Amino acid sequence: MIDVIKALLTVSALASGIRLATPYLYAAIGETYGQRSGVLNLGVEGVMLMGAFTSFWAVNRFTPEGATTYEPTALLIGVLVALAVGFVMGLATAFINVTLQAEQGISGIGIYLFGLGMSDLLFQRLFQGVETVNGFPKIYIPGLSDIPVVGELLFRQNLLVYIAFALVPITWFVMNKTTLGLKIRAVGQNPEAADTMGISVVKVRYFTVTLGSMLAAVAGASLSIAEHNVYFYNMTAGMGFIAVALVYFGSWRARGVMFGALLFSLVTAIQLRASTLGIGIPDEYLRMTPYLLTIIALVFASQRIDQPAALTKPFERGE
Amino acid sequence: MKKLGFVVVAVLVAALVLPVLTPSAQAEGEPFRVAVVMPSTVNDLAFSQSIYDALVAIQEERGEENFQIDYSENLFVVEDAATALRDYAAEGYDLVIAHGSQYGSSLEEIAPEFPDTAFAWGTTVNTFQDEGITNVYAYEARSEQGAFVQGVMAGMLTKSNVIGVIGPIETGDAKLYVDGFSAGVAYQNPDAEVLVNYIQSFSDVALAAAAAEAMLDEGADILTGTAQMVPGAVNKAKEAGALWFGTQADQASLAPEIVVASQVYDWTVALNPIIEDIEAGEINGEAFSLTLENGGLNIVFNEDFELDEAVMARAEEIMDAIVNGDISFEIDDEGNLSVIEAETESEG
Amino acid sequence: MTESSTLLPTGQRRIDHLEMRGIVKRFPGVLAADHVDFDVKAGEVHALLGENGAGKSTLMKILYGLYAPNEGEIYINGKKVEIHSPADAIANGIGMVHQHFMLVPTLTVAENVALGLKSSREPMLDLDVVSERIVTLAERYGLQVDPSAPVWQLAVGERQRVEIIKALYRGAALLILDEPTAVLTPQEVDDLFGTLRQMLDEGHGIIFISHKLHEVLAISNRITVLRDGRRVGTIPAEGATKPQLARMMVGREVILQYEKVDMPHGEALLRLEGVHAHSDRGTEALRGVTLEVRAGEILGLAGVSGNGQRELAEAIFGLRPITAGKVFLDGREITGKSPALLNKLGMSYIPEERMVDAVVKDFTVAENLMLQDHVNPPYAVGKIFLNPRAIAQHCAEMIRSFNIRTPSQETPIKSLSGGNIQKLVLARELAREPRVLIAAQPTRGVDIGATEYIHQRLLEQRAKGTATLLISEDLDEILALSDRIAVIYEGEIVGVVDRADADVETLGLMMAGAKRQGEQVAEAV
Ligand SMILES: Nc1ncnc2c1ncn2[C@@H]1O[C@H](COP(=O)(O)OP(=O)(O)OP(=O)(O)O)[C@@H](O)[C@H]1O
Ligand SMILES: [Mg+2]
Repeated sequence: MIDVIKALLTVSALASGIRLATPYLYAAIGETYGQRSGVLNLGVEGVMLMGAFTSFWAVNRFTPEGATTYEPTALLIGVLVALAVGFVMGLATAFINVTLQAEQGISGIGIYLFGLGMSDLLFQRLFQGVETVNGFPKIYIPGLSDIPVVGELLFRQNLLVYIAFALVPITWFVMNKTTLGLKIRAVGQNPEAADTMGISVVKVRYFTVTLGSMLAAVAGASLSIAEHNVYFYNMTAGMGFIAVALVYFGSWRARGVMFGALLFSLVTAIQLRASTLGIGIPDEYLRMTPYLLTIIALVFASQRIDQPAALTKPFERGE
Repeated sequence: MKKLGFVVVAVLVAALVLPVLTPSAQAEGEPFRVAVVMPSTVNDLAFSQSIYDALVAIQEERGEENFQIDYSENLFVVEDAATALRDYAAEGYDLVIAHGSQYGSSLEEIAPEFPDTAFAWGTTVNTFQDEGITNVYAYEARSEQGAFVQGVMAGMLTKSNVIGVIGPIETGDAKLYVDGFSAGVAYQNPDAEVLVNYIQSFSDVALAAAAAEAMLDEGADILTGTAQMVPGAVNKAKEAGALWFGTQADQASLAPEIVVASQVYDWTVALNPIIEDIEAGEINGEAFSLTLENGGLNIVFNEDFELDEAVMARAEEIMDAIVNGDISFEIDDEGNLSVIEAETESEG
Repeated sequence: MTESSTLLPTGQRRIDHLEMRGIVKRFPGVLAADHVDFDVKAGEVHALLGENGAGKSTLMKILYGLYAPNEGEIYINGKKVEIHSPADAIANGIGMVHQHFMLVPTLTVAENVALGLKSSREPMLDLDVVSERIVTLAERYGLQVDPSAPVWQLAVGERQRVEIIKALYRGAALLILDEPTAVLTPQEVDDLFGTLRQMLDEGHGIIFISHKLHEVLAISNRITVLRDGRRVGTIPAEGATKPQLARMMVGREVILQYEKVDMPHGEALLRLEGVHAHSDRGTEALRGVTLEVRAGEILGLAGVSGNGQRELAEAIFGLRPITAGKVFLDGREITGKSPALLNKLGMSYIPEERMVDAVVKDFTVAENLMLQDHVNPPYAVGKIFLNPRAIAQHCAEMIRSFNIRTPSQETPIKSLSGGNIQKLVLARELAREPRVLIAAQPTRGVDIGATEYIHQRLLEQRAKGTATLLISEDLDEILALSDRIAVIYEGEIVGVVDRADADVETLGLMMAGAKRQGEQVAEAV
């Protein structure tokens, strides 16, 4: 038993978990902004796919033919393109949810289907087949990366991994220490009260939804131009929906979301090792463990206190 | 207000999805019209692309004006596929191909409704003859054959004696490939350990990548895998400098420096006789298999990869043995593979 | 006049004269303001009176930029101003304390105050600076609050102080108070008036809305009465009398005293034995409450708010776990039983927070009226199909008899005036003819006409043998209706007295925690 655990809990399993957590972090932190202000965006998955495709396209397009190594400008353009696509899709999402006051669960599915269909359509038009690009390289942080265990875990990752984890304290700071964060929290808890204090509920929600969508697009880019350097149909395979669940898991706090993403990813990484080593449990069951664990943790550890009271509720002043 | 929002979304979605689902109308005329319904995309570098490439090859041979191809992609969900299949049949296509083993039950229902239309179902050997249906052809790839050859090569090439195989779910074509490859490794190099992981997903790139990482972590220096999510694993193999064997399509372009060879399907071998039957007005619902012998399966070596002469020779030798029948494969009712060697075998 | 006299001590420019002229506001099916003129001057309290739905809140929301008027203009110091949003109103020196508090419960007092304001350290928050100013304001106006306390932990009185601080912090020269006293104890009302007088001395203008005529008479300089969206008249407070005001509001004479028939003492229908329960914060809210309410009796439960009244009602009605002790309904133990079952057994509950606990805001008037009974005959056929005819008839009856002002049965309840929502809940619960009724603050925020009607209905129920537990902070109400009066203090019953032996003074002392001489709590049973 001890041997099995030892075999599963290797440093590289943990490192693998950290890398797996990256797209969840971007998407779930982005979703946190929206939900904190009272808007549930179920379309994350669709935005991720669009981000993954468009950034992949840009890097492919701006990397010189036959280049054997990564091209910094192409990568920068890739991220910018993803951000731009996230921005536009975010505005559309906000328009549908905030201005038109659509049912958020349903409109989110619409955005998801749009992203799924559109990313594939573009892929078919612009590519002959599955291709690869030269994505973000791993950056070894001098000195730190040589520390045993910790070095491999934390300081030998690509740039987008570092940024994802940096977003956690940044988000905490924005939410708790800035006037903007205060507005976001107030709008999500009691939009009427925020309105009477002269805050534009609509503006705040447009902002958070658009920002969230931009981060979701980067989540997609972190797959296609940093971690896997490839794009194909529906490559996110439901990550965007897990990200939405992780926001609940993390009680709408960046740190909680990070723990959720890490738990889910680490269990995924470890479970994959377990099924590779063949510890006698069928793969189908092993595959369920991250989901089961997340659900169980959700049930037992949930503190609903921080749930934005106005989540999914459109705001309309009496007139 | 709320309704308006929903309508906007619905229209957007419909505008996107409908062109994919609705077969485009065909002009009346002489050409042979074939339609194919597939689970993934025509450029997935895997299963779906293999059938499309075959149809395009036939089209090039016969001329575009004589041979029309229509297809519906990404119909992983059986219900959606059934709708598309029925639509194509109703529109009078000469041949309607259901390219996915999950479409069987739909076809069993639809085929009798259109007795004059020929259907083809892959990959399987079941033509519903027992159910009294005669207009369904079946086709399959004996992918264990090429897989076995690749497994033998991997057994020779490995230095660490650890080899990893990634599959989607343990059934159909994927299982044949994984089992064949494992058998090949064992045949050539009994000391080598084969790590197998079915990740339970056809599209999760991150999961495929993480599975590859787990195998590399265990010391694997050669990886292979089947289904459309494997590019995630190829990338990890590339980073780690491990070798890769492809299947279903030529995957050398994904990572020219590490792909040794790919097993490529040529479905024309099955499709041509089916089309000839239809043109002759003799639809009989046969079953076809792609094999190394009939040229439906090919091992395509990556030109950019410098393969050891001895390995190449050994691969040729094994291929010959399979073609001759010196080595053959049997699959029992549970889908388990066993390797049968003829008496004359010289080497173990 | 010197320059400084036009400035308030807070630095804000004084609003010497604010006028609303010819204001018209139409809602679907209602004319909520019909060419209303209204004005207020610096240093005066101008009270707005009117029945529920008369249009008081609507007029004030127009002034605060929440509603856009269909017609009419607003002038400040003779200059026309455009107020399209609360931000405009705040910029013009107008502050408002809303009928339903506009606070974010999860945020602290300081955060609620800082909300939407420019910080001195943009983009970062400056809560330390805000807290300091809150403390200064609090001292100046006698508004004790802890800036770092989360609002959800505060009692209603404290929340109200936060609302006033919010307005003052934003430099309000004119303060609108929409029924600020509805939720306050008499002591808190006195404190509030102290604050208001301080503001008046400094030159603030105040608009004050209340249904309690004695308060209006005590604090106001002028009084305007609205009826059905129209201004009935504006009179100086000096010399005005309660009956006169009541007549202006209702358009008829209002009885302010009730006849009570003597009822024989029935058997105890509701009985509590040593009930313990926790508050939302997890502290002990009820510490062994023992009580009984008999058939044909109204037992008044007096006490300063926050002494366990709400927890007691919720514990009885199965909405709050009872940690120790027992509850009996007509001899049958019902400890911890569900509200649905208690409803079926003939118990009704009129909660204190009706907006939150008793109605579904997005439902229509009819749906809210039928919340419990829609599954029972004759309103449902075979427990599944609704009988729209019977439902419509029943609703129409309730709307008529309780004088609920609503354009139709299909109007969403959130567009009703505050008092009319209260009446709707009462109509629903009383129409059930309960055997045991728990009524918490049944006339809070309800106009005098309706108050009179509700009181009469409670007495009618009593005559029919209902056992009523009347929870109220309004001692006049308790004294007017009760047969016996129990006083609750810090989760304990400090004494139970007969109405005949009760007077305001002793009750006041008991509410402050003094046990009645020679009286044993247990003996009260
Ligand atoms: N947002 C709204 N939509 C539709 N009708 C409304 C809306 N707000 C108020 N009304 C209607 O306007 C009328 C006046 O309501 P208002 O809230 O001003 O009354 P009020 O005098 O404040 O009564 P109360 O004493 O009960 O608070 C009522 O008939 C009410 O139903
Ligand atoms: Mg009102």
